Amino acid sequence: MKLLIVEDQQELVDNIQAYLSRGDVVCEAARNFAEAQDRLLSFSYDIVLLDLMLPDGSGLNLLRLLKRMNPETGVLIISAKNALDDKIKGLELGADDYLTKPFHLSELNARLNAIFRRRRQQGHKVLEHGCIRIDTDTREVTVSDQPITLTVKEYELLLFFITNKNRVLTKQVIAEHLWGDDVDLLDSFDFVYQHIKNLRKKIAIEGCEEHIKTIYGLGYKFTNR
Amino acid sequence: MNLIAKTTVFYLLVSVLVFGIGGYVTYHVVETEVIKETDFALYDEVQDMADDIRDGIPLEILRRRRASIEHVGDHLQIDTFYRFSDTIAPHPYREGETEPYRKLEAVKEVDGSFFHITITDVFIESDDIYDVVVEIIWRLFLILGVGMLIASFLVTRWLLTPFQRILSSIRGFNIKQSEPLDLPKTTTREFRQLNAFVSAMTERARRDFRTVREFSENASHEMQTPLSIARGKLELLQETPSLDQEQLRLIDDAQTALRRLSKLGSALLLLTKIENHEFRAQHKIDFSAIVNACIDNFEELAMLRGLPVKRDVKPGVKVALDPTLADVLVSNLVRNAIRHNQEDGAIEVHLDHKGLIIRNTGAAPTIPTRDLFKRFRKNQQSEKSMGLGLAIVKKICDTNRLSVNYDFQDGWHEISVIFPTNV
Repeated sequence: MKLLIVEDQQELVDNIQAYLSRGDVVCEAARNFAEAQDRLLSFSYDIVLLDLMLPDGSGLNLLRLLKRMNPETGVLIISAKNALDDKIKGLELGADDYLTKPFHLSELNARLNAIFRRRRQQGHKVLEHGCIRIDTDTREVTVSDQPITLTVKEYELLLFFITNKNRVLTKQVIAEHLWGDDVDLLDSFDFVYQHIKNLRKKIAIEGCEEHIKTIYGLGYKFTNR
Repeated sequence: MNLIAKTTVFYLLVSVLVFGIGGYVTYHVVETEVIKETDFALYDEVQDMADDIRDGIPLEILRRRRASIEHVGDHLQIDTFYRFSDTIAPHPYREGETEPYRKLEAVKEVDGSFFHITITDVFIESDDIYDVVVEIIWRLFLILGVGMLIASFLVTRWLLTPFQRILSSIRGFNIKQSEPLDLPKTTTREFRQLNAFVSAMTERARRDFRTVREFSENASHEMQTPLSIARGKLELLQETPSLDQEQLRLIDDAQTALRRLSKLGSALLLLTKIENHEFRAQHKIDFSAIVNACIDNFEELAMLRGLPVKRDVKPGVKVALDPTLADVLVSNLVRNAIRHNQEDGAIEVHLDHKGLIIRNTGAAPTIPTRDLFKRFRKNQQSEKSMGLGLAIVKKICDTNRLSVNYDFQDGWHEISVIFPTNV
């Protein structure tokens, strides 16, 4: 995946680059409007990560330019402004998704992968991990070629794990991914455990190896082995 | 008692004193003058008599009532003298009453003969002088008193008008507005000083208020970037393979604290933005749709906590409110209803053209209900909440002509947002 990060905060760019480069993502960065414009005119990217507030221009204008030149490129807007207007305008202009700062890097990664999958050609929308196979188009999951039935949350959970494999996912991060920011309203994240227990049962029944590793008291990690 | 009434009473008291002393002085001056004039008259009469004797008019003719003339000899040892004295004589008309008289005894030499002349004259009684003086003083005092009362009334109406207007301007002062105070032009130096002072002070207050407002908005906003960076770094740190359980726990705790801080920052920023009137209701919005969407959003979380949401939302309720604020308002209320709930509790949402009522079961509030709308006031048991939700609700209502009320009865919390009636 080839990614352009348009963001003026160098530290934030470093974070994203460090996190994503552990996967198979090629990250380039542009610190301002002019630089981003140059890069967009010269190269093509799978996805552009776009901050709406740039020191020398509005990210929305950059989005218009990009959509005119290369409509195939996916766009994920990241903005400190949690303004509904910006969000709606951004999505109307053709952005694929919108993420408000501050965000979890694992969440960013999951969103980027979702956009990447959606924009790829038919047939490439299949995720494979060991004996698990997910068709993101039809939402069909097979384990060792045996179809299994997952609830919506279990499906999303599995997808989140696979896109963030080998990464530590705290219960908080998982809960926020599945139920949104307001998950703090709940007294405990025990229900996360419930969902994981069910998911484990479903993928273990089919004779697949244990993938979800528990980090006691903290969260989970989806591993190769 | 106002200033003018006080001054008037004070001046009246002073004038009582002045008129008292004045009356006493007047009495004595008049009395002295009367005695002097009477004595003059008596003296003149004695001279006239002496002249008449010299002219050869017989003593019998010159003698009359209250005048006696005696020939006391031709070689009198004593020198010519005058002696004035007061005396009392029977009243000429009233029986049994006496009257004070002024008497002049004199020995006059007329052509070598000495005559002893005694003349008495009616003397104006000191009682009469006293009465007259009191009468005059009393009338003057009355005129002065009435004059002062009228003047003080007029002064209040006219002289103090600028002062009243300054007062009402100060009373109507709003620190959030930027228009200068409407202070009356006046020629009175004190009021001009007051005007200058008041306008300088209000301008300063406004400037400080603006600075604080801008600062809190900028601070809340600028805070998010370093927070974002710190959270990212921690997430990267979490990925380090060699970490043990305890270290991962520490990172997670730090993440939790940072998440709280960043939510706090956004909430404060939102509060400041509402205060700064950055959201303006352009037109009426479909409030029913917003309420429904909001309940849809939260229903799953409510179900996870085992809280059924009973909704009674009339369609097509329109309210003049910014859509973002409407969403924040309803979300905050529903969020509260979920957070401050109990086991096997319930939530009820009711919306009609009068207002929005959100009811939920829960423990009785531990702080006075009025304080619930203040910033950072919250019930002890809800440690996860920031204590800003209801403050934001209140602020939205205050800036959009909505009224919000809280009530707790029979284990139910009820928050009602009442829409303005004239729309």
